[in-house]
Amino acid sequence: MGRRRRRRVDPADAARALPEAIAVLTRTLPTGPSPETFRRAKFDRPEAAPALWRLLFCVLSPMPADGASPSLALEAQARSVKAALRFQGYPRRALAQLPDDGSQGGRELLLALAWLLARGPTLEQLLAQSRVRLGDEMPVCECESLASPGPAVPSVEADGCVDTRHLQWLMGKLRFRWRKLMASQQEQCALLGKIHSYTRGCHSDRSLGHLSVTETELLRDPEGGQQDTVLGACPPEASQPAFLPEIPAQGAAELELVVRELQALQEELQAAVEPRRAAWEARVGGHGPEWSASRRALQEAVRQDLVALQWAWERGGGLTQPHEPHRLVRTEAGAPEGRGLQATEVIEVLRSREACLEVVLGQLQGQCQQELARLVGTLPGLIWIPPPGR
Amino acid sequence: MSIVTVQLGQCGNQIGFEVFDALFSDSHCPQKFCSKRENEAYQASCKERFFSEEEDGVPVARAVLVDMEPKVINQTLSKAAHSGRWKYGQHSHLCQKQGSGNNWAYGYSVHGPRHEESIMNLIQKEVEKCDSLSGFFIVMSMAGGTGSGLGAFLTQNLQDQYSNSLKMNQIIWPYGTGEVIVQNYNSILTLSHLYRSSDALLVHENDAVHKICAKLMNIKQISFRDINQVLAHQLGSVFQPTYSGEGSFHYRRNPLGDLMEDLVPHPEFKMLGVRNIPQMSENSLAYSTFTWAGLLKHLRQMLISNAKMEEGIDWQVRPPLSGLPTLGKMPLSKELHFNTSIANLVILRGKDVHSADLGAFKDPALYTSWLEPVTAFNVWKTQRAFSKYEKSAALVSNSQSLVKPLDMIVGKAWNMFASKAYLHQYTKFGIEEEDFLDGFALLEQVIASYSNL
Repeated sequence: MGRRRRRRVDPADAARALPEAIAVLTRTLPTGPSPETFRRAKFDRPEAAPALWRLLFCVLSPMPADGASPSLALEAQARSVKAALRFQGYPRRALAQLPDDGSQGGRELLLALAWLLARGPTLEQLLAQSRVRLGDEMPVCECESLASPGPAVPSVEADGCVDTRHLQWLMGKLRFRWRKLMASQQEQCALLGKIHSYTRGCHSDRSLGHLSVTETELLRDPEGGQQDTVLGACPPEASQPAFLPEIPAQGAAELELVVRELQALQEELQAAVEPRRAAWEARVGGHGPEWSASRRALQEAVRQDLVALQWAWERGGGLTQPHEPHRLVRTEAGAPEGRGLQATEVIEVLRSREACLEVVLGQLQGQCQQELARLVGTLPGLIWIPPPGR
Repeated sequence: MSIVTVQLGQCGNQIGFEVFDALFSDSHCPQKFCSKRENEAYQASCKERFFSEEEDGVPVARAVLVDMEPKVINQTLSKAAHSGRWKYGQHSHLCQKQGSGNNWAYGYSVHGPRHEESIMNLIQKEVEKCDSLSGFFIVMSMAGGTGSGLGAFLTQNLQDQYSNSLKMNQIIWPYGTGEVIVQNYNSILTLSHLYRSSDALLVHENDAVHKICAKLMNIKQISFRDINQVLAHQLGSVFQPTYSGEGSFHYRRNPLGDLMEDLVPHPEFKMLGVRNIPQMSENSLAYSTFTWAGLLKHLRQMLISNAKMEEGIDWQVRPPLSGLPTLGKMPLSKELHFNTSIANLVILRGKDVHSADLGAFKDPALYTSWLEPVTAFNVWKTQRAFSKYEKSAALVSNSQSLVKPLDMIVGKAWNMFASKAYLHQYTKFGIEEEDFLDGFALLEQVIASYSNL
């Protein structure tokens, strides 16, 4: 627990730099408290405490892009801040002992803020959230869309008849939406391509070479409609490409939680599986060579499926880049490879994933057909004419 | 997003010209109730969809012209070029020296394969000019020779080569008392082939449009040009830009896709009709004012009584009492008074469009039991007026309105087929009795599906 040796900074310099730093922080931080609030917090004045609690709440809980999170009461925010700091490993007990009503603790909170800023990429994350993204962004992974719950499944009445025509209608709508989506994505690509090739050579950053749509708009119409961005206030490294923050320490804490939950679930499942398996085997019974042969065949089939799944996952999951969207950059043929992902790599990965999904789709469709045929067989007097294959 | 139009045969080419002309005229029509900025956005959207730009600044229609005779194409090309306002591409056409004598089989089995590569190349060139392709219009007659046989062949090709793009066939339904003896055979073959390879069939009935010209437009000597102009007006009022949603200020990017998703997702129900209100000669326009309530009331009654224009509407037709499901197939001998819809799309253009009340169109009694009005009914709006009409409404519907005409054609064709009349014209070029039977079966199925709503 020794104190880290730092370069010796002349206290006078530090004192002079501080107001400027506070001023920048004020502009940068969401719900930026005024420099006066910072000063009062330093002297632990109670009127500064709520502002600091709110500030820490914003810093610690990532805001959704559209700022749509409902505003919590100060008390709830204070408790949330304490919990979050605890997760992050904040050492000072004095903060944990502050009252929940958010009426005190300006100084402790300042210390906590400083701790956060010093230890992790907090400031960069905040900037990343609130700044205008200059590049033409292309999502690289599907994690977000896979994790989202999707639209609500329309409920079917308990014994309601479903008119097949309605289902066919919906299916057709889905197909049309798909085709429209393809067309509009092609349009987007065509237009991006035009802008990228027209603005070749215009970018100050040689590794990028051309402008993005946003940058072109900014050049065309510097006043128009863009909010006063943080980057605008920052020193002129504004032509830097998209800033990819590292995986935040916060993520690690949540991951920790999820891991523990999964372990608990696994134990639960194992405990539940054993008696069921025993009961099943007792019911199915059967010994003898025929039974054990078919059982081995089943086990082998399952093993192969698992191997295929794993292989597909590892191949498909080959992208080791972080999951944030990437900036789209167009290079000339024959130019040296730039940093970042190559489009060909991504296409390759997507194609192999597509192939896997097609196989799965085919299997599922086959299963559906079999199930339908079986169901139809149980209805007397019904003739099943499957549609002609395309 | 752009639409590429394929104009086939005499019919397709003459109509195609009027459509582009109507679109261009409307987008350059001086506007009184629309801000300059909005009008410019409207023009830009229309232009991107239907025209491309060449160096001399004259917009070029995104179109491919095909005919087996040179006369009509040459007329069409020069009419456009002489207007000075827009034109067709210099190399966007294909025509041959010989005709095909209204022989569907010849168009399908001979002209089609022979010119397949050239035509698809022309289409590919047009597609490449687009930043993004929404889909294709194929304008053709249903019962003629070149247009219909070749059109069926081409639509299949487009299905194979551009399977992700949308295809809408603009089909001209012949006069009931048409001149061509075998027009019913041609119709059967065209419709059954298109049903398999197209996404939507937007039907324009010559008889209906003729009546509009006579009664509403007061035209004494009705020429094909008059008919085509009315038709073009209807199409324009559907496909010109509209806002992408309630309260949106952007024009929708893919009206063709939106229309198809709203109206024809079911593979058995692809037949669409369009109605328009008001329709009148430009002279009368200056002396008329309309309210949205009045327009929509008439439009609704036109829909449910299966009227094609706002004069002579049968106001006795009422929706059936709700709660009584329509079980079983309705025998066609019984008069189908009430026109049940599967889905409807109303497009409103003009002043105070936001005040228009569309509640009456959301009545569940108008629709089939397996779709709720919230899904079945859609509306597009824009404040920007269409052409010189301060207020106008168009209705594209997927309904039973084409069942009777279709049934008549199938009946007549079947009678002819039963006596094997004129079949040699077809079998000579590879269209066998099998193909006819397939066509009959498919169309009977379509009639049954629509009747069974």
